[in-house]
Amino acid sequence: MKQSGSGKWNKYFVAGLFMTGLAVLLGIVGFFWTPYSTTEMSAAEKFAAPSMQHLFGTDNFGRDIFSRVMQGLGTTISISSLVVLCSGSVGILLGAVTGYFGGLLDEVVMRITDALNGFPSILLTLVIISVLGSGRQNVIISLGLVFVPSFVRIVRSEFIRLRDMDYIKRARLMGVGKLRILFVHILPNIFSVFWVSVMIGFNNAILAESGMSYLGIGVQPPDASLGKMLSDAQGYLQSAPWYALAPGLTIVWVVLGFSLFSEGIRRNQ
Amino acid sequence: MITIENLSVAFDGTEVVKHVSLQLEDGEILGVVGESGSGKSVTALTLMGLAPAAAQVTSGRILYDDVVLQEAGRPCDKALYEKYQGARMSMVFQEPMTSLNPTKRVGGQVEEVLKLHTKLAKEESRSRVLETFAAVGLHDAEKVYASYPHQLSGGMRQRVMIAMAVILHPGLIVADEPTTALDVTIQNQIIALLQEINQKQKNAMLFITHDLNLAKRLCQKIAVMKDGCVVEYGTGEEIFGNPRQAYTKELIEAVPSRLKKRRILKAPSNMADEMNVGIPKAPSNMADEMNAGMPKASVNMAKRKITGTLHSAEQGSSILQVRNLSVFYQEGSNSLFSRNKKRCVVSGAEFDIYSGESLGLVGESGCGKTSLSKAILGMNRDIQGNIIHHSLRPQMIFQDPYSSLNPAKTIGWLLQEPLRAAGALDKSLAMTKADMETAAYDMLRRVGMGEKYFHRKPSQLSGGQRQRVSIAQALITNPGFIVADEPVSALDVTIQAQIMELLQQLQQEMKLSCLFISHDINVVYQMCDRIMIMKEGRIIEIGETEEIFHHPREEYTQLLLCNS
Repeated sequence: MKQSGSGKWNKYFVAGLFMTGLAVLLGIVGFFWTPYSTTEMSAAEKFAAPSMQHLFGTDNFGRDIFSRVMQGLGTTISISSLVVLCSGSVGILLGAVTGYFGGLLDEVVMRITDALNGFPSILLTLVIISVLGSGRQNVIISLGLVFVPSFVRIVRSEFIRLRDMDYIKRARLMGVGKLRILFVHILPNIFSVFWVSVMIGFNNAILAESGMSYLGIGVQPPDASLGKMLSDAQGYLQSAPWYALAPGLTIVWVVLGFSLFSEGIRRNQ
Repeated sequence: MITIENLSVAFDGTEVVKHVSLQLEDGEILGVVGESGSGKSVTALTLMGLAPAAAQVTSGRILYDDVVLQEAGRPCDKALYEKYQGARMSMVFQEPMTSLNPTKRVGGQVEEVLKLHTKLAKEESRSRVLETFAAVGLHDAEKVYASYPHQLSGGMRQRVMIAMAVILHPGLIVADEPTTALDVTIQNQIIALLQEINQKQKNAMLFITHDLNLAKRLCQKIAVMKDGCVVEYGTGEEIFGNPRQAYTKELIEAVPSRLKKRRILKAPSNMADEMNVGIPKAPSNMADEMNAGMPKASVNMAKRKITGTLHSAEQGSSILQVRNLSVFYQEGSNSLFSRNKKRCVVSGAEFDIYSGESLGLVGESGCGKTSLSKAILGMNRDIQGNIIHHSLRPQMIFQDPYSSLNPAKTIGWLLQEPLRAAGALDKSLAMTKADMETAAYDMLRRVGMGEKYFHRKPSQLSGGQRQRVSIAQALITNPGFIVADEPVSALDVTIQAQIMELLQQLQQEMKLSCLFISHDINVVYQMCDRIMIMKEGRIIEIGETEEIFHHPREEYTQLLLCNS
């Protein structure tokens, strides 16, 4: 008898797959096609409530919110993916080298990551954005930098655990090269742990990106982004609650979907 | 009196204990012997009411002096057991490290038992604990009382566990492999102690072990278990003198013992040259022989190796020379600012290993055997003295079959990796993909495993099979010399015998020299031509196997011999 919620297709996995799948699909479609233009304004249709024409209603400029949510999803998911990809790769490289070799390099890298960890992440991104200027690319760079320490720590601790395993000692005795030991012998063994941290990192990146847009230091108008929509909707909470609910619930949907998805994967192992 | 009647226990519908009936009189020690997975521990845990919740009693019952403790179709009665556990039945576990709470002084932990089951005043219970400590052979009981578990040695911790188990004079003591984690000399003391307690307190003792010899020494009656069934049940003499079941015979056969004849494998007579093992030969002759025994794909390699060591083969054929070797160990963390302290763990080691010979290294835990082997293989470079290798890249076989194979790779990949590594280091040894695959399949066959394992992962293999793959991986490049660090200690006896036989056979076929490390002097007796005894970092005796066993010079060697 299997414990409920375990197994390849457990409930977490199925629910997570459905939720993230739908969000990713909408985001990707949003890059190429949206039901209405995301920038075209229409004074006649200001604050239209959700209907069959406008699924999520329209905003203060009469723009279709559903279309803008689709575009915002695309922006948010693509930025978060790139952030995780960049910081994850750097994390693997630094974590592998520092964990396996230790010594002076380890000490230096770890103190730098400690320093990075010492700042509140939103403050750090603010500083970086104010130095580099805003824009999609700089959002990715700043968030990537903020996310590196967590990946380095996880990868490093796994490498420290595995570097003294008997099978690694044996690989060394066989004369296997150092790089090959790092990336062919050890790396595949940390994937289960790493995958979970990627999932968590992705969720955090979505929240961070939305937060930055909300503060106005993320993606700039006229590009839609979920966080920016939320902050724009703030003034109309009473009169047009759907304006805030649509992007807000979308963020919840994506984050919850990814949490369930990663939990499902974790339980599979 | 304990009666187990027709007991069956199942996990999720799979029976792991099948219709077991045992009877245990007061003052009697019953040994339950079996290999891992035979159901011996589940039987004991069910008896103690400690079986996991998923375990269900599907038939039979357990009686303690006519009180039914467990019965089929009735859930385990927790309230009833609480009255019995500790006071009238108690258990000693294998791992004294994990059975004591590391954050509490051991005196308090033992006193806890008294607090739960008696109404003794504080002073009384304290003196009772001290008395019991003295009774289980803990000298300086006051000091032990105030110690934390980490301040005690393994043997002392096990004595504390025993004190905890016997302090209330329970009618039943279940001991689950209580000596397996201990050194031989300590093991013997603990056995003697259990025997003494049994005679004094007249309680019934269920002694679970995988070691037939131990059961024979300690127990009046022995039950042999296999696959959840009791296959044989009788007195020690009956079982050893006249085993009725094939499995029991196999078990007795498998136990390494110096009373049995050493299995010295000889090559088939048509390879007459191989008969004179240990005698230096002309190198050309040797190279030819290697080719005869080697898989096709690695022939080239063997040839090169031999020409590489040709020089040494002429010098009395020693494959490893160790001269005045001291090995140091860095104490303290390797962080940037902490000052490191050096400790000498091996001092003045001096010995030779000759071509085709296996040298046994025997000693108790902490004597420096592993440090010595690491130094020899270059894994610890903090040494003084000389190590001269006449083999190209010596390999190692580790004790734990579960951590010595990379779990992310397939067996085929693992077997080819040494060949790839050798090819990358020396272009002249590079092999084509097809050749490597052939060599891997060939090696797999030579360690007695089918081709179907080629694409499997280590997690799908049993401990014995993993150890076979480890051996195959170590030998595929024909290293000429290997270090085997307790290669059979983590295996069941029957598997142990198979692996030892395999090692000996391969050694013969491949002209392999071997440094064989073990704490078990009987295993070494079976495997090795010469034996080296180590104590506290020094090699105190070295000589021919028969010589050491029959005429040990050192007192410590004699002690080791009579304790096992």
